[in-house]
Formats: sequence, C-alpha cells, structure tokens
Amino acid sequence: MMSSISSGASGKLANRAGAITRLALPKGRMLARTAELLDAIGLGFDAYNSNTRIYRMYSKTMPSLSAKMLNERDIPVQVAIGNYDFGICTSDWLQELQARYPASRVFKIADLGFEEAGIFLAGSTSSGISRKDLSKSGVMWRIVTEYPALAEAAAYKMRLKKFRIYPLWGSAEAYPPENAELAVLRAGDEKVLRSMNLTPVSKLCDSNACIIANSDSLQKGNFSDLLKRLTSGFKLKTKLWQQREAVKSDIPNDIDFKAKKDSIWLALADGHQQVHTAAFLGKTGVNMKGYSADNLLRRPSCDLDWVNFKVVRPQDMPQQVANGNFDLAITGRDWLVDHLYQFPSSPVAELVNLGFGWVKVVAVVCEDVPADSIEGLKRIIEKGKMTPLRIATEYVNIADKYLRDKHVARYRVIPTWGATEVYLPEDADMLIENTETGQTLARHKLKIIDTLFESTACLIGNKQSLAQAGKKAKIARLVNIFREAAGTR
Amino acid sequence: METQKCKGARDLLPQDMEKFRQVEEAFLNSCLNWGYREIKTPTLEYIHLFTQAGTLTPAMLGRVYSFLDWDGWGGERIVLRPDGTIPAVRLYNENMADQKISRLCYITNIFAFEETGKENREKWQCGVELLGDSNPTSDAEIIALALEIVKSLGISRVELKLSHAGILKALIEELKLSAEAKEALLDEILDGNWQALAGVKSSNKDFAAAVAALMKLKGKSSGFLANLKSLPSISRNLKNEIDKFASVSGLLDTLGYSYSIDFTSIKGFEYYTGLCFKIVSGNRKICSGGRYDNLVGLVGGKKTPACGFAFLLDELVQLVKPWSRQKADKTVLIRTARENAASIKASFELAGALRRAGLVAEFAFCGSQMTARWKVAVQDKPGAFVIEDQSKGVQKKVKSANDVINFIGGFGKVGK
Repeated sequence: MMSSISSGASGKLANRAGAITRLALPKGRMLARTAELLDAIGLGFDAYNSNTRIYRMYSKTMPSLSAKMLNERDIPVQVAIGNYDFGICTSDWLQELQARYPASRVFKIADLGFEEAGIFLAGSTSSGISRKDLSKSGVMWRIVTEYPALAEAAAYKMRLKKFRIYPLWGSAEAYPPENAELAVLRAGDEKVLRSMNLTPVSKLCDSNACIIANSDSLQKGNFSDLLKRLTSGFKLKTKLWQQREAVKSDIPNDIDFKAKKDSIWLALADGHQQVHTAAFLGKTGVNMKGYSADNLLRRPSCDLDWVNFKVVRPQDMPQQVANGNFDLAITGRDWLVDHLYQFPSSPVAELVNLGFGWVKVVAVVCEDVPADSIEGLKRIIEKGKMTPLRIATEYVNIADKYLRDKHVARYRVIPTWGATEVYLPEDADMLIENTETGQTLARHKLKIIDTLFESTACLIGNKQSLAQAGKKAKIARLVNIFREAAGTR
Repeated sequence: METQKCKGARDLLPQDMEKFRQVEEAFLNSCLNWGYREIKTPTLEYIHLFTQAGTLTPAMLGRVYSFLDWDGWGGERIVLRPDGTIPAVRLYNENMADQKISRLCYITNIFAFEETGKENREKWQCGVELLGDSNPTSDAEIIALALEIVKSLGISRVELKLSHAGILKALIEELKLSAEAKEALLDEILDGNWQALAGVKSSNKDFAAAVAALMKLKGKSSGFLANLKSLPSISRNLKNEIDKFASVSGLLDTLGYSYSIDFTSIKGFEYYTGLCFKIVSGNRKICSGGRYDNLVGLVGGKKTPACGFAFLLDELVQLVKPWSRQKADKTVLIRTARENAASIKASFELAGALRRAGLVAEFAFCGSQMTARWKVAVQDKPGAFVIEDQSKGVQKKVKSANDVINFIGGFGKVGK
C-alpha cells in the first residue's frame, strides 16, 4: 500500500524561524566514517562518537547547524516528514521508504562513497533456488527481511504467485533454509552473500552512504553554505572517510548444519541480550557451544542433541514462534506483549519467567511538561495542546493499545528502531520506552508519567507445538530445566 | 469546519445516490432479463488470490490496500478487493464450477490507492461474467448486453473499441525477447505505455518497427484484420489469433454493431486472452471487458473459458440525466394543527394510508426536506383534515384519510 508521508503538524521544521539547520546523523555502524567525513569538511561535532551519551549537538564551526543521532533506519522517514532538513544514511533505507511511499518529500543529494553494498533477494545455497523457480505456482514463498516494502515490490515484479513477507528487526541471513525460503538483505557483494551460505536470486538495488534532504526545506530555505562545504569535501584528494575500514558485525552462518530430526527449535537472542541469555544458559548446565561473545554462531549447539538453536533478534521471536518457525524462544516479555496486542489469538504463550533482564515499560514526556500522569497529560490535550499527540516508540502495538485504552482522542504512533529518547520534544510529545534505572531518561531531561508493566526475559512457546506428540515431552523437559535454573520450580 | 473525511474518499449525497441507483437499476434490469444472476463477494480477500492469478500488474498490486489481520501472524495479508472479476471467479470456483454455463452479475466497490487524493480511492463497478463458453457468440452477447444498458440509460454517442490480447501477446512473442525483457515490456504496455514497443531491443528489429507502426493504425472494420493478416512476416500463431479476432468482429458486423479497432485501447489487466473491448463516450471510458480463458484455472479452478465486462459506475453517473419522477405531485407533507397525542396518532395513521396508496408522506411537525405539492394539516378534532395544493394555492377541508387519498390521487394521476 502506498501513501505519501505527510508532515506532522507540530513537528514540521520547528526551528525554521531561528534558521537552524537540522541534520539527522546515524548511530552505529556508519558513525565513525560519517564523523570522519564531517570533520574533513569542517563541520565536525565534538560529541559525535560511538561513546557519546549526548544525542543533540551543534557543529563546531557552523553554530546554526544542529544535529541529532538517530537509528539509521529512521533517518529517511524523519527527513521526509520534515523533522530534519538533511540526513545521512545508506540509500537502502531511502529506497525502502520510497518503495512504500513514492511521494515522500525526500530525495538523495549525493553519494558519499562508502558503505557500498547491494540489496539482494537470496536463498540458501543448499536450496538452489533460481529466478525461474519464483513464478512457479503451488509454492508458498516465505521471505524474511528488514526491507518489507522492497521485498513486496520485488515479489510483485517477479510474479510470485503466493508469498508471505516476514518483516524483521534484523539477522535475516539466519533464517534460510529452515525458517524461510528467501531473504531480502544487504550484503557487500555476492561473495559476502555466499560466505553467509546464501546465493543471490536477484539484486534488487545498490546501496551506499548518502546525504538526503527534505524537498520542502530545499525549496524554502537557503542551505548554500552547508552544500558548498559538502561539495568542497567531494573535491578533496584524500577522502579519509572512504579509506577507513568498514565495521563488520556478521555472525558466521554455519554451512554444514543439519537440523536434527524430531527435534525442537529454540531461538536465542543476539545483540545486547546475548550475554545475559548465555549467562542464564550457563546456569542450566546444558553446556552451550557457539553461543559466547567470542564464539558466536547462528546455529549453536548443546549437550541435548534434540534441540536446534538459532540466534536471531528477540523482537522477531514471538511472531516466528507463532507461525511455527520456532517451537520455543528466549525473549523479553515486552516483545511478547507487543505481539499479543497485534495478534490477540496468537498461539504464543509465556512458559517460564526466567527472571533476568528486568525493565519496566513506561510512558515518558519531557520534564517541563506540566503533567505527572497520563490523566494530567490528557487535560493538556483537551485544551487543544499537543494534539494529535505524537508518540515515538519501538513498541507500536503496545503504544497503540495504551492510547486507545486511555481514550486519547487523536494520536499518532511514530515507529522507531531505537534511540527513541532523542525524539522528545521536537519530533514527538511522548515515548513508550523501556527503562531499567531511569538514568538515561533523566540525562535527557525526561520523566515517567506512567508505568505500563514490568518485563523480564522469558521462555515463550507455541501452544500448538506443546500439543504435538513428538515435541510435547521434549518441551516439558526443557521447561523443567529452565524452571530449575530460574528458581521458579 | 475542518473536514474529517479520509483523503481520496467520497460521500455520496442524496442527489448522487438517485443517479447511482438509476444506473444500478438499469444495469440489473437488463442483466436479469438476459438470464444473469446477481452475486456479491466480500470486501476482504487474501492477497494471494490476486498474486496467484498473475493478472494484476506490479503497478496495480503496489496500490492495493493490504494489512495483517488480527490472526495474521502467519504473514498472510488481507486486501480490500482491488478488482471485481477475480473474486467473482473465486466464488464461481468454490460454488458453481459444476454448472456448465454461469451468467453472473454484480455491483461492487473496488479499492486502489491513488497518489494525489483528488481521485477516488474507492470506486464502483457493475460487472458481468459469462463462464463456460468459448464461442464468439458469448463475446458478442456481452458486448450487446453492455450496449443495451448504455442505451437504456439514454446515453448516446458512444463508441465501441476493440482490441485483442491474443494478437498482442503473439506479437510480443515474435520479438523474441529474454524472459525479463518481455516481462518489463508487458508491464509498460499494460500500464498504457505503448511507446515502449518502439524502444525495444529485439533481434527481430524490423518486425518490432512494423509492430510499433501497426499499433498506431486504427481500422474501422474486419477488412482491417484481413489486411493485417496479409502483411508479410506474419507468423502462423499470429494468423490464428487474427482469425479468432475476425470471427467475433465478423459476428458484430452481422449483428449490425459498429466498432473501431484500436490495439492500444487495452490497458491494465493481464488476464485477457482474446477479444477486449471498451466503450467510450467522448473522453470518458465507461466500460471495459474481454475474454479471459485462463483466469479460472489460475485462480485454482479447472480450465474454463470465460468473458466479462465492467461498467465504471463513477464515470457512468456523470453521463446520465436523473429520471424525472415528478415526485412532488405524489409527495405529501403532514403536520398537526396542534401537537397532542391524538393528532399525532391521526397523522401517523393518515401517513400510513397515503403510503399504502403509493404516495410519499413526510412528517412536517418540525420542518421537512421534500419538495411537495401537497400539505395536509391534521386538525384537533377527530376526522378533520385541511389539504393545501401548493401548486394552485387552494385549500380544501375533508373528513377522512380516504377523502385525502381520493382528492390527492385524482391529481396525482397526472404525475403517474
């Protein structure tokens, strides 16, 4: 479905009057090279480094240039809706946005000459899927991807008869062949793809780091100073930012893996939760191999030879358990709740509270908002302020249900992929966020006005798997092992 | 006042609905008289119904309204019906496939995103499908039916344009393109860009040029087809398709329907296999249809020949003049001289009697909306009514509801 992303009423170029140019900079993978580029063209930001805890910053040499650090994937959207005049990101995210919203008010100004890669439609090397196979009838293609709009457009274009797209937070390469036939994912080139045990079926587009701009900003404002500096940068003989080594974070995709027959699938977390999950598994005594920070595999193993493991994003686990790709998963209750709000009759349930990874999910506003509760905030809204209420969150379904239940008349949920604190106050009015100590919130001058629920890591399972004769006893055994380790027996 | 209507959505007001119903009525009357039976399919369908048919272009599929249902964790997307024929074929496959011939008609809304929001994203169609027959008589039948409906709506100066998907596909086959290039070319053509043919990189370059030139020709009758067939470098496959086309156009000649041949008039749907037609009035396309012998099989049924058409209701209503129903002569406004329980009861009884007698009765206790010739004031004492004929400015007192009906009915006859 397509639509144009329209500008948020209150968020749009809020700083136009003061002639502040707003720039959205990427966190993570691209940060070091982007910082190098900004330094080279004399627009450096002191605080723009991977250790920073400051998300809002000003240029050393151009005081009218302000920047915030966002998740790369959010940058095209934020530039398109006019919250930022410019942004730096890889072009795949821009193309993903434009695939769904062709009329978006954003376009690419220039390539920056790094992070060059392609977006591929690929299948597992062992499955040998070719382009010709795709238009066969009678096959249900499961496509996993962080790029659902590009994947959908490709599926239509290649005349796939039946397909399902599973949008992911990440780790798409881990799914084929057992849990999906196809993945749409970014890879440096076909060689990199093959090293992940994947074979390209089609290259959907190229991707590289680029600078993007809001179309309305360029029409109305004068940014010639910034653009001149950028152009001068491109004329430099040595482009340090292009020479710097790219960040690599791929987890090896084990090639000689064979799923054991009559075994069960258990999904384990990558990313931040990996260390905690590994520590917990250590307590169970199952003796994991390939699931430690220094030796992380996509398909680890353990002493129990009737369990297959796969390492994926915790956010993606509930839906993948619901559709039967995994029987069990260790994820956060927050993601289970979000899933169940989207799909109330889902067969996924919490089996064991594992106790670690405690956070609370809270409603957050800026310190200077004169309200200490959601009711107080509603009174402000009733006076015609902050309406429609803009809520930035990673928990789209939790936020949606919360605001419905609280009878907030007009609101807009802004989906984000992380670094949500930075959205207040300019780009959102409220957050639904998780917090452990509240320190990050306090540092950003934010306050909690409501606690929705508490979340810990838990073992989730598919109720239908629980009822299957071949799996029932194995799952029960594993549940017992986990209960014992969690001390909830 | 701030408008709260969705972008690209539209309200149909009473005056719109009168014309709307008028078109529906004319459509249904004709269809039922020709032996067609009405069906309705649900607004929601699975998206794979449309992707597996392989009959909507990627551009059309990219404009489909789709979402995950509350139980959609399996990833199966639901769509708001983007097309009328494919669901009708699904209904046929699941319920009527054992019937040798099925003549079906429906009035349905279809949904497709439109960029500017100035066009309607929800459109209405009146569709007809004739399933189970491959003879040219069926093609001729649906064309004749469509033209009859147009005529019964009083729309004159319409043009019937014919094209042929079989010929078009055979022509593209001759270009000997790679699978991908062929797909891309078809997409362009189906989205209406015939220029794409001129730019095609074919090994059969002369042929491509001839085809591009051919597409610009617009012939008047089946003689044109005979000429086409006699051109050098025409393959046997292509000749076969031209013969098929000629058999239908010849039949239309016999039946006395005039038409023009315009290959570029086909657009949008991949499901046509044979004759395609559209009916235009000025610049307005009001109807399009054709033969789709593969669709039933593609949607999961057994291979069944079929053809059909759809009227674009939104275009059609622009062309019809509202029927003059002379309703004012048959409309009565009823009020009470004084508002009390007895007079209100008498008013309800009088209104009931008038309606049973075929008149329109609207209460005017606190205002009314109909344009009416008659006003009746129900008096305080039982059995007393004052009738006012507003067209003549005269009043008359009568004693019973029957007297009212007789008095009004006498004049009402004027307006039928």
